Amino acid sequence: MKRILLLIPVFLILLSFSSASRMQVKAGERLVYNGSYNMSGLMTQLAQVTMSTENVSTAKNNYLHLSCELSTYSKWDKFFKIRDIYETYVHPVTLKPSLYKRSIDEGGYTKKEKYVFKNNKITSTVKKRTYPESSRTFNIKPTSIDAVSILYQLRLVDFSKMQAGQTKSYTIVFDEKEIPVTLRYMGKEEVKAGNLGTKECYKISIGAKTDALRGKDKNLIWLTADSKKIPALIKFSIPVGTGQLALSSATGI
Amino acid sequence: MRKLLLISTVVFTVLAILFSVLPMDTLAFLPIGIAIALSLTTLLKSDENQKKFPKILLIISVICSVFVLGKTLFIKDEVEVDQKFEQQKIETKQEAKKELEELENDLE
Repeated sequence: MKRILLLIPVFLILLSFSSASRMQVKAGERLVYNGSYNMSGLMTQLAQVTMSTENVSTAKNNYLHLSCELSTYSKWDKFFKIRDIYETYVHPVTLKPSLYKRSIDEGGYTKKEKYVFKNNKITSTVKKRTYPESSRTFNIKPTSIDAVSILYQLRLVDFSKMQAGQTKSYTIVFDEKEIPVTLRYMGKEEVKAGNLGTKECYKISIGAKTDALRGKDKNLIWLTADSKKIPALIKFSIPVGTGQLALSSATGI
Repeated sequence: MRKLLLISTVVFTVLAILFSVLPMDTLAFLPIGIAIALSLTTLLKSDENQKKFPKILLIISVICSVFVLGKTLFIKDEVEVDQKFEQQKIETKQEAKKELEELENDLE
């Protein structure tokens, strides 16, 4: 069961590359995925992943709140309950993150993480289980962003102008580390996209310099080949197996 | 040989029952399939007066397969509304607003 702990980080890493364009991401969007894991050759549905956006205002600024939640299906809750939230508060136009928060509860294992982005530095606060809270500040590249906000930037990439085989390189910050991520555009394919029906999609292979992902072209994402670029299907290969996230519902897009 | 087959059949039938009851989805078909195959083999290797027990094991495995198939086809996967989790999300959002305001003050 510990294998499913890797679902969210892998999901985020799979989506970890950004764009050059700066279109606005819409508030009020809600994408729901069925998360399955390959157990002995059979795909078993384990959890629901929900990605949503909303506007948040302070006295001085407006932010876009990007949230990614993972909850195990009720049938699993008695055996291994997971309730994870990965969220970030970004500039509504540039999508530059100001605050990233991660709160995980996986079968009783809890961890809370907070990154405050200040110029080219991150002040992180981490609290694991019953251990005391730790805090540190570390430098990051000016282009490094968190794993949630970058997944929305992905949808702004103009894949129609890319040739099959063309790559892009990016950096995300995850677990207080900067992780280089490379994407390779592989062309177009038709896949099922939940309530959107069968859609033509951009197929992208993801490579990250991390032990969390395995195999060449085994970590893939399909984005609808339209102006929305909704992630329709995500397949991942991790050291302990393979799995997928399939879009079941997309609303507010 | 028959004794070994019978023991294996019993083991896999027990596993089939366990996997059927637990939320293993289609994964339960693995022990069920093996249990059915072993039950049939044991039946073939048994004399006429020894066939009753393997038949019972075979019926149990078949019932398990129907049960799992029914669960897969008719029970929809749902996430339980977790009040504690919902409350946590509200609190986290409120905290974040304060933290963003602190950050804005620091950057001024």
